[in-house]
Order: sequence, then C-alpha cells, then structure tokens
Amino acid sequence: MSLAVDSLVKRFERFPALNGVSFTAPQGAFLALLGPSGSGKTTVLRILGGLEYPDAGSVRFADLNWLDVPARERRAGFVFQQYALFRHMTVAENIGFGLSVRPRRQRPPRAEIARRVEELLALVQLEGLGKRYPNQLSGGQRQRVALARALAIEPRMLLLDEPFGALDAKVRKELRGWLRALHERMGITTVFVTHDQEEAFALADLVAIMNAGRIEQYGTLEDVRRSPKTAFVAEFLETAPLKKADASRHRGDGHPG
Amino acid sequence: MSATGLAAAGLSKPRWRNRSILPGFGLSLGFTVFYLSAVVLIPIAALVIRPWSIGLGGFWHVVTDHRVLAALKLSFGGSAIAALINTVTGPIVAWVLVRYRFPGRRLLDALIDLPFALPTAVAGIALSTLYSPQGWLGEPLAHLGLKLAFTQGGVIIALTFIGLPFVVRTLEPVLADLSREPEEAAATLGATRFQTMRRVVLPSIAPALVTGTTLAFARAIGEYGSVIFIAGNLPGISEIAPLLIVIKLEQFDYAGAAAIGVVMLAASFILILALNLLQNWTRPYR
Amino acid sequence: MKRWRSPTSDHPLTSIALALIAVGVVAIFLVLPLATVFAEALRKGLDVAWAAIDEPDARAAIRLTLLTATIAVPLNAVFGISASWAIAKFDFRGKQLLTTLIDLPFSISPVVSGLIYVLIFGLQGWFGQTLRDWDVKVIFALPGIVLATMFVTFPFVARELIPLMIDQGRDEEEAATSLGASGWQTFLRVTLPNIKWGLLYGVLLCNARAMGEFGAVSVVSGHIRGLTNTMPLHVEVLYNDYQFVGAFAVASILALLAIVTLVLKSVLEWRFADEIAAVHQH
Repeated sequence: MSLAVDSLVKRFERFPALNGVSFTAPQGAFLALLGPSGSGKTTVLRILGGLEYPDAGSVRFADLNWLDVPARERRAGFVFQQYALFRHMTVAENIGFGLSVRPRRQRPPRAEIARRVEELLALVQLEGLGKRYPNQLSGGQRQRVALARALAIEPRMLLLDEPFGALDAKVRKELRGWLRALHERMGITTVFVTHDQEEAFALADLVAIMNAGRIEQYGTLEDVRRSPKTAFVAEFLETAPLKKADASRHRGDGHPG
Repeated sequence: MSATGLAAAGLSKPRWRNRSILPGFGLSLGFTVFYLSAVVLIPIAALVIRPWSIGLGGFWHVVTDHRVLAALKLSFGGSAIAALINTVTGPIVAWVLVRYRFPGRRLLDALIDLPFALPTAVAGIALSTLYSPQGWLGEPLAHLGLKLAFTQGGVIIALTFIGLPFVVRTLEPVLADLSREPEEAAATLGATRFQTMRRVVLPSIAPALVTGTTLAFARAIGEYGSVIFIAGNLPGISEIAPLLIVIKLEQFDYAGAAAIGVVMLAASFILILALNLLQNWTRPYR
Repeated sequence: MKRWRSPTSDHPLTSIALALIAVGVVAIFLVLPLATVFAEALRKGLDVAWAAIDEPDARAAIRLTLLTATIAVPLNAVFGISASWAIAKFDFRGKQLLTTLIDLPFSISPVVSGLIYVLIFGLQGWFGQTLRDWDVKVIFALPGIVLATMFVTFPFVARELIPLMIDQGRDEEEAATSLGASGWQTFLRVTLPNIKWGLLYGVLLCNARAMGEFGAVSVVSGHIRGLTNTMPLHVEVLYNDYQFVGAFAVASILALLAIVTLVLKSVLEWRFADEIAAVHQH
C-alpha cells in the first residue's frame, strides 16, 4: 500500500494553504512533514485523514482513489495535537470507541473489545488505567491513550498532528523513542507533522520540508541534510545541528515512555 | 476615605476581609445590604413567618386541601412536562442557531428572547386567543380533536413558551465553545454522524441541558400571567397554584395564601440549591 | 470529484429537517403569539385600536406604568452598581451568599413577590393597622406597585454588572486610587466608562420587565380602574370584560416595547459582543 499524493491545492477563503503538493512514500514508511507554522503541513495531514478536501489534486493509497473514500471508511488513525479524547468516557471506553461504533455485522462482541483494549493498554504501557478519566491523566498519558485509540481500529495509515507539541521536553523525548519502536514493530504507514526538526530527524525515514504551501525538498534525512536544494531548506536546517538523537535512532534502542 | 487613610487603618480592619486600597467598601457594601434587606429579605421573612399564625396543623390543613393539592400538582406537573418538551426542542433550536449558517439566523436568534422581553399578560392573552377554538392554531387543532384552550393542555403550552429561551440560551454558549476535534476524532474512528452525535456531542452538553431544563422548570412553576388566560382556572382541574394564592388573598385568607407561598418559596430554594450543586458537579469533571 | 462533506457537518437531509424543526418551533411558539397581538388589535381597523388607547383609563395606565418604571429602574440601577462594586472590587466572607441572595427574586414566582408585600403592608399585614392609622396607602396604591416592581426587577442590573466588573478586574481602579483619585472620581472616570454598555444592557432589561410586570403588581394593586392599573393590568381588565380589541390594542404598545427592547439588545450585543460575552460566561 504505497501512498501517492499528486498536486494538492487548497485555499481557505482567500488564503492559499497548499500550492501544489506532491510526494510518494512506500508502504510502511515513516514520513515527516516538517516546516514552520502556516506552511500547510497540517492541511496535508487533514486531507489524508478525510477532515479536509482539496480544491485540486489527487491521492492514491491502498490502490484506492483515497479522496473518494469518506473519512469514516478510511481507517486512517488520527492523533490530534490536543489529544481530542472523549472527556466523559473512561480511558477504556475511549480506546474501544472505534470498535464499538462498527456496523453490527462487523462489531466484535463486548468481551472481545475489552480484550483488545487491555492489549492496547499494555502496548502503550498504561495497564490498569482503563477505568480512569482523561482529566485524571498526565499529558503524556493522554497522548498515549490517543495513540492507542487510533491503533484500536487497525488503521492502514497513521496520522499524527504535532502529537508531542503540548508536552514538556523530557516526556517528548521518551514518547519519541517509544513511537519509533512502535512503528518498527507494527509497520503502519505513518505521516506525522512537526515544526521541530530534531523530532523529524529522530523519527522519520523520509522528510518533506514545507514552506508556504509547497514542498521545498523531499527525501531521506541524509539527502536533505547533505544537499539542501533551496535557500529556505538550508536556512531552516541550519537552526539545529545534528544531534545524538540521530545516532541512537540508527541503533534502534528507543524506549517506550 | 483616602488611600493612605485606608492603608494606615488597615491594621485595625476586621480580619474577615482582605485589605484593598480601593475606597468605598463601607459605603457600597452597606448600601447593598440595606437595600437587599429592605426590598428582599425582610419581605421574604414576612412570608415565611406568616403561615405559622395558624400553627403547624393549620398550615398542614391548608396545604393538603384537595383544591390546593390539585393546583400544586398542576403547577409542578405541568412545568415538568413543559420543561421536558423544551429538553427536546431546545437542543435542536440551539444546534441550528450555533452550527448552521443561513439568512435570517440572527433574526431567529433574537426572537428566542421574546418570552423574556414580552410582558406575561400580553403573552397570556395572545396564547389564549391563538389556541381558542376560533384561533389560528386552535381551529385546526380542534379539527384534529385537540382542545387546548381552557384546559391543562393550554397550561402546558404556555409554560413551554416561557421555558424555551432558558434551555436554548443555556445551551448556546456551550455548543459554541465545543471543540470540533472530538467529532473529527470520532469520524476518523469510523463513527457515523448519528453515532457521533449520540455518544460524543450529546454527553458533552448534557450538564448544560440539565441546567437549562431546571431553570425552565423553576420559572414555570411560578408563572402566572402567561398561564391564567389560557388555563380555564377551574378549581381542582385547571387552576394553577399562583392563582390560588391570589384568590385566597382576595378572600383575606392571608395565612392560607402565605402557606401556599411558603411551599412555592421552598421549591424555589431547593431548585436554586440543586442548580448550584449542578454547577459544582460539572466543573471538576472538566 | 464527488461532492464532499466535512465529517463534522450533518447530512444535508438531517440539516434540513433540523432547521425546519427549529424554525417551526420558533414560529409556532414565539412568532405566532406575537403576530396575534397585532392582528387582533387591528381586527376592527386602526381607528378602533387607537380609540382604545386614547381613552382615559388607558392613558392613566400608561402614565402609571411609566411612573413606576421611572422610579424603580434608576433605584435598581444604583443598587446594581453598588452591589457589583462591593462584590467585584473587594474580597469578603459571605460574598457568595450575597450573590445568591441577589439572584433570589429571579427564582420566586411573581405572585409570591406581590404576596410578601401584602403580608407586610396589607390590612392584615404587619404594618397594616399602623398605615391605616396614619392614612398612608401602600397596598392598592402607587407605593405598593413600585415596591413590588422593584422586587421583581431587582437583580437585573446587578446580574449584568457583577460578572462584567469581576472580569474587568481591579487594576485600573487601584491605579487610579494610588494616583490619588478619590472614590467617586475613580468610579466616575475609570469604572463607569468601562461598564457603560453592560449598565445600559442591564437597564434595558430591567426597564422591559418593570413595564411589563404583571403577577406581582396584580396582587398589590387592587385593580382600581384609572388609579392603580398599570398597562398589563389594564390589558387584563379589558380582556376579562370581553373588550378584546381594546385589550390587544394596549397590549400592542407593550409588544412594541418588547420588540424595541429586543432590537436594542441585539444591537448592543452585536456592537459590544466581547464585553457582554464576558458577562454571560457565568
């Protein structure tokens, strides 16, 4: 299931959010959309998730005309920056939500849903917290619940919108490593948005550097860093030098938070 | 009082308030308490004391009289039904006003306050005429076999009119503040719009809905002007409690009127308390 | 490309259905009664309607209503300002209680509101005998009507101003005071300009209720035609007398007042949305 995005254009009222965005990624890739605020990266993500629709362009994924598939049917797990957890539901109910809203015929029995929820709680290392409410959890814990919730539907694509943006540096680092390990284990095509290049380089295989609705450069980390194609890319990357985080990623020893 | 005077006197100010350099505390609080007592508290005290002139037994006798009980039942029961009707229509109106864009929306929004602004007597005679057998609505309803004027049904209609703005206005800010993201999340997780409404949106506005309904109920039990014209006012059948108070006063049965008044006042207090508790209950939840 | 619908917007059929229900509810429950008032008033033509308004008892009722409002509204406004100053600018124990007590008349039936004044000033009331000896009439006269109206409209201005002033904080007033301004100067030149729209809004609502109050005034007034009937009471008298056109004619004036109030309210809300929104947060 490779992903092919072609010439996306999107305007909000008069504001041109996307000016022709194209890229492709192989199945199971971990792709980062990196850029300053307003560069259009979240818009691309939301289009991939079915939360926005472009004015022009196309997307192909899993051999489908992806834009024609309603959000509900895409099975694209979306993780929001502010978690968007259902506050009146427990952690377990949140995680099991995607399974409990399936049409009758495809819906697993309650016991099965409960079992899967337990599995996911263990995966995100929140065992025993199933009965808690989101407001009783820390930011890092909430984000893990959001992730578990998205994973529960066995998504074909995982979309993360600055998932660690609202967390402090230490928690961010922990979750980063842990997300990377998760990806290596599950192999889901993952697209994530960030303005933090340290994060992009620590997590992604492929990175798209965006600016003003366009992709300035797209490629592997080495490509981008060694041969920046435009002045913007060079300048943008100059602001943070290569860090040890990179080395550890190659070692593959990210720890779950 | 000058600022320096206050600061110097600060040491001798009573401990039950924080020091503030702003002047006018004594004057403003004093006037406030005086006005409050004179206009509100003392008169209410008079009400609470009065029934006891006939003793506890007398009070009980008045309140359990058949006619009084029927009136109380109509006032409370009718208000409850009206509030429940508004629990259904209110959210729909609020949702349309907040989420949809269409020409005339602002006008519709302004109209919601009509029961607040329109004098109750005006509303009363209008409703009575509207639902009378020759009225614009009364006639077609009569063909359907529904007689609303001068019956308990008429009372409920009037109370629904009164209560609608309470529910809508309580819900509007909550709906407006609602983040779309949980709805988006639900959609990406595979929920249909109906499932999202039922399991994500509705529970988020449930506390506000309960508050609005309670406010509508509280207002309806005491309502007089909007109701008495359409009500029929037959003792034991379509007579509301406030009307009974007026009748007793006209008969110079002050104690009896006060007894019913105390029951209604007690109901008001309980409802205020319930509303305050509700506010406290929903806050830590967030 | 297929027609796309945002996942957070309702199905078009649902939207139409809900919108129709909403408009229907407002039309049936709110607009029709209002329309009825004017339709019935003009049923026999503008002349007959005008004649009903122009006759002595009606004019007396209008005068009484205006007089009552002129007394009650400013007094309640002063109270509202005073209460919100005390509550917003200072901390003291019992603040919550005070705020709750101020809200009290809102929760009490209008008839009960009138009842309590009868219990104090009526013939069998606390001061009934005393007043009779001094030949002072409170119940069945202007003072009673004014008192009952004041009770019922008592919280309006305070309720608008208290959250507004709390929201605005104390900084500006403290700055003014530290610069040497007296209490009155601070209030007039710093606070008042900040609260003027909230005050106007509160006065508007207070006035609408004061002129339209029925239940409370009905109990204390005695319904003496030409003397102690306010406009709403006059409407009742005419209606019970089967003088429907007359009743609706006078009612139209009140309905027009309501419409003007709503229009002004909308204009104020639209122009000064932020300030007033702060008030309605609570």
